[in-house]
Amino acid sequence: MSVATFDPYASTGAARGPLHGLNPLAKLGAPLPAMLLLVVVRDLGTPLAFLVVAYAVLLLGAGLSRLLLLVLGVAVPAAVAVIGVGMSLWADAARVDRSVEVVSIGAWTLYGGALEVGFATALRLAAIVSLALVAGLTTSGPDLVRASVQHLRVPYRIGYTALAAFRFVPRFGHELDVIRQAHRVRGAHGGRGPFAAVARWWGYIVPLLAGAIRHAERVALAMDARAFGAHPDRTERHPVPFRRRDVAFVALFWLLSAAVFWLLFPWGLG
Amino acid sequence: MTPAAAAAADASAARLGRAPLLRVAELGVTHEGADAAAPASATFDVAPGEVVLLLGPSGCGKSSLALTLNGLLPQSVPATVTGSVAVNGLDTATTPVARLSTFVGMVFQDPDAQLVTGTLLDEVAFGPENLRMPVDEVLARAESALRRVGLWERRGENPDRLSGGGRQRLAIACALAMGSPLLVLDEPTANLDPQGIEEVYAALGELVAAGDRAIVLIEHNLDAAVSITDRVVVLDQHGRTVADGDVDDVLRGRAAELHEMGVWLPVSALAALKLRAAGWQLDPLPLTPDELRAAVEDAAAPSAPAPAHAEGRSAHAEGRSVRGLTEDDSRGAAPSRSVRGAGGGGGGDTVIAVRDLTVTRGRTEILREVDLTVRAGEFVAIVGANGAGKTTLLQAVAGVIPTPKGRILTGGVDPARTDLRALSRRIGFVFQNPEHQFIAHTVFDELAHGLRQQRLPESEVRERATEMLRRFGLESKAHVHPFLLSGGQKRRLSVGTALVAGAPILALDEPTFGQDRARADELLALLQDLNADGTTILVVTHDMQLVTEYASRTVVVSDGRIVADAGTSAIFADDHLIARAGLRLPPLRRALQGVQRHPALAAVTRLAELGADA
Repeated sequence: MSVATFDPYASTGAARGPLHGLNPLAKLGAPLPAMLLLVVVRDLGTPLAFLVVAYAVLLLGAGLSRLLLLVLGVAVPAAVAVIGVGMSLWADAARVDRSVEVVSIGAWTLYGGALEVGFATALRLAAIVSLALVAGLTTSGPDLVRASVQHLRVPYRIGYTALAAFRFVPRFGHELDVIRQAHRVRGAHGGRGPFAAVARWWGYIVPLLAGAIRHAERVALAMDARAFGAHPDRTERHPVPFRRRDVAFVALFWLLSAAVFWLLFPWGLG
Repeated sequence: MTPAAAAAADASAARLGRAPLLRVAELGVTHEGADAAAPASATFDVAPGEVVLLLGPSGCGKSSLALTLNGLLPQSVPATVTGSVAVNGLDTATTPVARLSTFVGMVFQDPDAQLVTGTLLDEVAFGPENLRMPVDEVLARAESALRRVGLWERRGENPDRLSGGGRQRLAIACALAMGSPLLVLDEPTANLDPQGIEEVYAALGELVAAGDRAIVLIEHNLDAAVSITDRVVVLDQHGRTVADGDVDDVLRGRAAELHEMGVWLPVSALAALKLRAAGWQLDPLPLTPDELRAAVEDAAAPSAPAPAHAEGRSAHAEGRSVRGLTEDDSRGAAPSRSVRGAGGGGGGDTVIAVRDLTVTRGRTEILREVDLTVRAGEFVAIVGANGAGKTTLLQAVAGVIPTPKGRILTGGVDPARTDLRALSRRIGFVFQNPEHQFIAHTVFDELAHGLRQQRLPESEVRERATEMLRRFGLESKAHVHPFLLSGGQKRRLSVGTALVAGAPILALDEPTFGQDRARADELLALLQDLNADGTTILVVTHDMQLVTEYASRTVVVSDGRIVADAGTSAIFADDHLIARAGLRLPPLRRALQGVQRHPALAAVTRLAELGADA
């Protein structure tokens, strides 16, 4: 999903499934304990189990769309492969299980233990990301803001200002393109290598910030002129209720998470 | 309020027979760090339902005044305010902006900076929601506001998908939805192309016809604004009210005086002033193209060759004489405009040659089989509707975007094969926003950069950069950061940096976009001087009057192709072509093209052909 086409306001995709009917906070909160615990597991089985759970929830609940299939079928597996191999090569050979040799080139050997460490890390990341996608692929920006304001007592001034700030992203993307073009024409900071690149990007920051600050000031004035922040709350045309099914979804997900951790108990203490 | 001002205000309220909705009394605004107040002392009233056009020379504080009307200044923008502004009897300096928002709706210049939400409906509902209105009321207001600007059918779309004119109409709908009896519009069309301007004024026209909202309009595009205006308030350069009356009294009656002060007038009024000076009887002064056409049809041409000017250097150079209009050069007021090489005929050597150029982006062809020749010393305008490819053409010629090899010769080299350092000696490119192209920390270094790139000895760099500073009036700013310059200075510096390496060709992309008339004029005068000194100028612009005033030759781009390329007056004589290319006739052409009685006038395209200033 590129910056240019990212629309935080769009209702997400044409396809709709049961997940779209849930409260965004339920979709964020349900996988949260599992995501936090996954950070500290080290085995292969637990992340794999949660990956399966996340895939099942998404495929059944999000409604099939091209985006979903691309993410689950291509992006996540590709990321697992790349990160898994990369991490295996990077792992400290002295500290892994060296009982199995997978590849041996000259004096260098890739051990099975290294592969295991690498893919455990990759699967862990993939599981966390996939769990986050449960909310991410089925929730629009405004709904999340509304739910946070309605149920988490997030001040609406902060929520809606953050939403307005999303509008800046494509604008700055475009502005950055023009600045880069202009600087290239002026022949600013030519040359290759990391130092020239840093100098070049540094040169983009001043004009970009100057434009950003001016734009932000204007947006703030326009919002003030339309009574933003006048009252402690504002009319909400789209209530985002927290219903029984949200409670059930969260409870079930937590129970399932607990069961997985209980059965696989990945901390090696036993 | 002094007794005098109070009396004046009372008198004006009494004259209208209604209580004023807005009362501005001796308003002065001093921004933090500024040494003078602008405006210094503005006084006027606005009655319910009235449309007031606020005029004044550049820098008189019109925009600051607009911000005081709903309390944003001084409540959100820190400044020292003297005098008073009252809306419905509420003091705007102390009443919270949110409360004032139900009395005063605001529309700003930049449509993008007024968007908060993700759909048109949410956007219009945003204000009423902030006011805690019940959902039914919010929806009713949103629907009525969107319908009034003709956007109800598109309520589910993301505002990004609207054109500039559409987004500005949305901003008007958002202001309407606040339910405020007064709308304040600060340069609402400055960022729009001609089609967008038409859209916005069509929407405003309907609003005015309904008569339920008072409007304070700050606008430099008077040709569109005059038709909806009831009253005109004029501030002088210090921001003191110097005129306040209906359109007839102020614009028609005191036009020459206002023009003298630096207030921009409708093009038709400027033309009429020049014709009057040439001996024409035009009374009352026409303000719109239609009025001007009617007035000259009714008037007899001045019998004796009136004391106008010019064995029309400008007009003659294009092989046209406007006898009876412009003769006698005794005052030497003839513009020094150079029209060498007009229409591509005659003139100097070929400096730009484009042959069969096709530029694609992704799978879209932006330019198709384009041929273009530009000779040394020409002043060429490239015009076309949005997305026609005119900016791409300019960027291709200047080597800003990659192009296929062997299609372009700019100053004798192919931009596709030439490194930028060598190219910068042949063509300079000025971006729309000058800030984008600043790369150094002082004005001096900004100019020196281009010279150091040429590996010149430091003494020569110093000498030539200093010469450039002097030429562009920036000597005193040599050690200032470029971002701290004023808008006009930034623009001059950007032109200076483009030329410093010695480029004989200057390419400018929409150089007057979003600027007020005074600054646009300043830039164009500068370009004209450069052109007179031999610099070839290429400019992409939406401003048709600017094109006709300055460019000797016009290239019309439509749908990736050059559909016309001729002398500017020939281009704008062809209504069919202009319509087909999605362009608009400049106001002067619109006024004079159909004139039956005076064939010489019917061919006039630029103000300068009508003679010297009144």
